[in-house]
Amino acid sequence: MADAVIVVALLLVAASATVAVATRDPMRQALVLAVLGVVLAVLFTVLQAPDVGLSQLAVGSALTPLLLMLAVRKIRRRGREKEGER
Amino acid sequence: MNGWLLAATVSLAGGLGAALWGVATGPLRRRVVAQNLSTALACPGLLLLSQAYGRPSYVDLGLVLALLGPVGTLVFARLLADELAEDPPRAWGLTWTVAGLGAAAVTALCVATGPSRAMVKLLVVGALLISGNVIASRALSGGFRGVRGG
Amino acid sequence: MTPRTALLAAAELMGWWVALALLWLVLISTVDTLELAVGAASALVGALAARAARRAVTGS
Repeated sequence: MADAVIVVALLLVAASATVAVATRDPMRQALVLAVLGVVLAVLFTVLQAPDVGLSQLAVGSALTPLLLMLAVRKIRRRGREKEGER
Repeated sequence: MNGWLLAATVSLAGGLGAALWGVATGPLRRRVVAQNLSTALACPGLLLLSQAYGRPSYVDLGLVLALLGPVGTLVFARLLADELAEDPPRAWGLTWTVAGLGAAAVTALCVATGPSRAMVKLLVVGALLISGNVIASRALSGGFRGVRGG
Repeated sequence: MTPRTALLAAAELMGWWVALALLWLVLISTVDTLELAVGAASALVGALAARAARRAVTGS
């Protein structure tokens, strides 16, 4: 019975990581990555490593998406300025 | 067999599976709602896991998720505001259903814990979870359009 | 600063301190003297920060 929850967490991690790779648009990819961070934290908890899970939650649920979205925004703005110069 | 572990497995598999399906397909407004609800569904799962393993310190994971999940959704609500303004997400029924699920899980855990400091901690986590989720939902549907600093 | 505003400020700080100290008391796992001392000190710092933030938001 204790193994069932590990199997479920592993399947969820595999599925969300595959979806993250298969998504093309970076904005939507950031959304999938946020879910992947939460699922990874659940996997670490299930494997009895809650300290790793805590840091994964802190980094994965808010920080990684923020970095990605800021980078995408900046690149888009710079691209628009270049279009305007031409 | 441990009933708490079974409940945690079912809620994590069903909830996070549905959230993953929602975030992987469909228009942008559906994806942001699914991302918001994924944290709201994972938090009761983590609380149930802490009860299943008999380790009260695992409740801290649920506490951190209840605090940081809505923060992550607010990041998306702020940075995707232009895209979402054309097609605002409206999922109040789903939001309140998930909030009710979280409240049910927290209530069951409180009954199992009995009146003590641990129960107050669980109640704090539940209140943070539901209020953070409702605030994040309101931000996604454009409820704070007037607040635009920076 | 008149005595009235000073009294109001002290009351607000006290309110924040009580709320934050209670939150600390709920969230710790074992209650002993060291935990209580650290909690009281950090609740005081938090109360000062909370009052400063409240004044910055409401602008008074």
